Amino acid sequence: MSDELPQDETPLKKASISKGNEDYGQGDLEHLSDLEHVRERPSMYIGDTTARGLHHLVYEVVDNSIDEAMADFATEVTVTINGDGSVTVEDDGRGIPVEKHDQLSEQMGREVSTLEGVMTVLKFGGKFSKGAYQTSGGLHGVGVTVVNFLSEWAEVEVSRDGHVHHQEYERGVPKGPVRRVGATSRRGTKTTFKPDPQIFQTTKYVYATLVKRLQELAFLNRGVKITITDARTGDSETFQYEDGIRQFVAHLNRASEAAHPDILHIADEQEGVGIEIALQYSGEYTENVHTYVNNINTTEGGTHLSGFRAALTRTLNNYGKKEGLFKDLVPTGDDFREGLTAVITCRVPHPQFEGQTKTKLGNSEVEGIVNSLFGDYLSKFLEENPKTAKAIAKKGLLAAEARESARKARQLVRERKGALSGGSLPGKLRDCSSRDVDRCELYLVEGDSAGGSAEGGRLREFQAILPLRGKIINAYKSRDDKVLANEEIRSMISAIGIGFGIDQDLTRRRYGRIVIMTDADVDGSHIRTLLLTFFYRQMYDLVAKGHVYVAQPPLFRVRKGKHVEYVQTEEEMKSQLLDLGLGESTFDPGDGRVIEGEAMIKLVRTLAALEESIIALERRGIALKIHALKQDPVTGKLPVYNVFVGIQEHWFVDRSELDNFLKSQESASGSELVVDGAGAKDETNGASDENRLRIVELHEVRTINTLLGDLRGMGFEIDSLIPQDRTGEEGSRYTIRRGENESGLEDLRGLPGAIRAAGEKGLQITRFKGLGEMNAEELRDTTLHPDNRTLLQVTMQDAGAADDLFRVLMGDQVEPRRDFIQKHALDVKNLDV
Amino acid sequence: MRCPVCDVTFKAEATTAPPFCSERCRTIDLGRWLDEANALPHVPDPEADEEPENIDRA
Repeated sequence: MSDELPQDETPLKKASISKGNEDYGQGDLEHLSDLEHVRERPSMYIGDTTARGLHHLVYEVVDNSIDEAMADFATEVTVTINGDGSVTVEDDGRGIPVEKHDQLSEQMGREVSTLEGVMTVLKFGGKFSKGAYQTSGGLHGVGVTVVNFLSEWAEVEVSRDGHVHHQEYERGVPKGPVRRVGATSRRGTKTTFKPDPQIFQTTKYVYATLVKRLQELAFLNRGVKITITDARTGDSETFQYEDGIRQFVAHLNRASEAAHPDILHIADEQEGVGIEIALQYSGEYTENVHTYVNNINTTEGGTHLSGFRAALTRTLNNYGKKEGLFKDLVPTGDDFREGLTAVITCRVPHPQFEGQTKTKLGNSEVEGIVNSLFGDYLSKFLEENPKTAKAIAKKGLLAAEARESARKARQLVRERKGALSGGSLPGKLRDCSSRDVDRCELYLVEGDSAGGSAEGGRLREFQAILPLRGKIINAYKSRDDKVLANEEIRSMISAIGIGFGIDQDLTRRRYGRIVIMTDADVDGSHIRTLLLTFFYRQMYDLVAKGHVYVAQPPLFRVRKGKHVEYVQTEEEMKSQLLDLGLGESTFDPGDGRVIEGEAMIKLVRTLAALEESIIALERRGIALKIHALKQDPVTGKLPVYNVFVGIQEHWFVDRSELDNFLKSQESASGSELVVDGAGAKDETNGASDENRLRIVELHEVRTINTLLGDLRGMGFEIDSLIPQDRTGEEGSRYTIRRGENESGLEDLRGLPGAIRAAGEKGLQITRFKGLGEMNAEELRDTTLHPDNRTLLQVTMQDAGAADDLFRVLMGDQVEPRRDFIQKHALDVKNLDV
Repeated sequence: MRCPVCDVTFKAEATTAPPFCSERCRTIDLGRWLDEANALPHVPDPEADEEPENIDRA
């Protein structure tokens, strides 16, 4: 052992000498020192010597092939795990140069090919002179040399300039010079190596691990075809992605429903730094962002990621504010990252890596570049794609809402814990005295005054009363909304006792029945809908187990002398009045007939039924008088189908007539008619106007036609329903007689009303405008006392229907909301009695 | 089922928080009740005494 030489070089020098390398000189000395150093401290070059480092060897070799591919010299990379545990990586690139390398030959004092240099001299590759590749991959740029040094044996085969060149190595030392072994028309480099068990803790390659990284590389390097084969098992897969990281994002989101259909994509460059980003929000709540610099997975992030995040948050926030989407709640950066799937790749000429595993990009200039390029792109994209923009903003808002809601729920839990220890129930609750849960009932009563009556009328032992109020708020400038006040929600949760959310426990309920009791008006029905929706959503089990009921307070009080009766519905009241009024009434149609008895009952009932359908028709804006003009002269039927083809309007009395018409239209025009979308909003879906078909079915006319038929059987035509011009004629057109009384009518439609008015004589009918109009005693007799009341048990279907309605009314679609409001405004107008 | 909050369609047996797809959506909805954000349009009704039956069963 010589003192002049560093000690650790000696064994390799000996090894080299023992191979009889006569040309050994000072050049070899440096070379040996490289080899020695790598084998002594492999972790400095490949991270570690576990399975991770083992697989890293493959990636180092593959990176060279990818570089060839990205420089457009290669199209295909093949990786094979051989039966003996070695790995072969092959590409169809230019092939590593094999000619004599002057500098190296001089250094070594013998003829050395460039190929040998690449395989045996550190920092020799083309990657370090900027000429060969713009930017290149490889974790530390150590490349294939290190792979060779850490292999038990390796061989490389270069096809180039019509020949195959070959060299073999043992633990990094060439077994001879590069030899020409034959002619070929192909080109490329094929490297095979067997990892050295003296270095690695394990030398067994895992197919799935290689597949994952190779697929990733195929995504990152658009168009490159990468095939991996496991000769041990016969498994093989090929990856090639013409759409690159866009396909990567689609692949990452494959298992979940995307929040928007399009994948955002930018590829740009500034100051020599290339960036490419693809992103799409998924239905998930986790962030799934992968960042790469020069193909290296920067798992610790770095400046490219921070630049991206800053631009994302800033741009989405600006958009949301500008569009008025973020009013009470502004999403944070974290909120915008929920469900975000993104792939960020950068090409950085001189990357600086930091962090524990050297996978954090440190180049500060990259942050600003990504921030400005991506920010500009995103704000333009949002501008041009409002639908996707809204979906993304909504997603962020939902995340913010989830955060806020979770905070409120935690607060509520704390409050309830405090409340339970203090044993306090809501102040407005008038609790019952019994603790027999199954017998106890909680009445949720609309309004304080009704609450008062209910408190007085209840059966104190087992009936509790909680008065609730609907609260009107001005949600938007143009609209008033009705809500259940926060305080009411808390009171209900605390009175019912089962808790909320995941900790709900039905056995802790304080009552066997929860009874919703609201006024029989629009407000009342709205509060009922709100309550049913609340229970369905937040106390699902309570509804499922049948604990929720709706009380049926009467709508009318009918007093005849001392006798009092209650009537629950509009229909029932009308029908009772009709019966009473019919009594001895007779009808004189002015044609010599007198209609009485059974015939009279039949006529009035038919007219009463007809009236409802005529009102439905009129609600469409179609007057009976006008529609009667379209009556079929033969059958006497009115048309049911209103059909538009283009701007031409047609009417048909039944489906077969309509179908015949459509057939003849289609054969005449030679093309199928395009049924108009229900919303008729999308005017641009390609159909020409002449072919646009819209069919409106007037369902109520079916009923009208049937009843008109009945009426005809009684000797009345449709004209009898429509006031006629009777200029010059004396007296009324029709006459109703009841004992001494006589009254006139101009059309039959007024008959049921007139009969009901007669029936009302001698009765004192009170319509309850609200529960509060009933006194305590009345409320008990009709609605509270189990002997007299009617309770409807709320089924899951009922509650679900309330929820459906609620969604329509809450929803963004203006159309159904407006329909609903109009319908009920009409209902209110058209009710009589 | 269709989640009232996020609109996603899911199988009833796939959730622990029916009728929501997840605990998270149930919590969001609870937050909306507490915030008085779950609202119905208020129909201005000058007479406030007429009675449309079956609003919630229609």
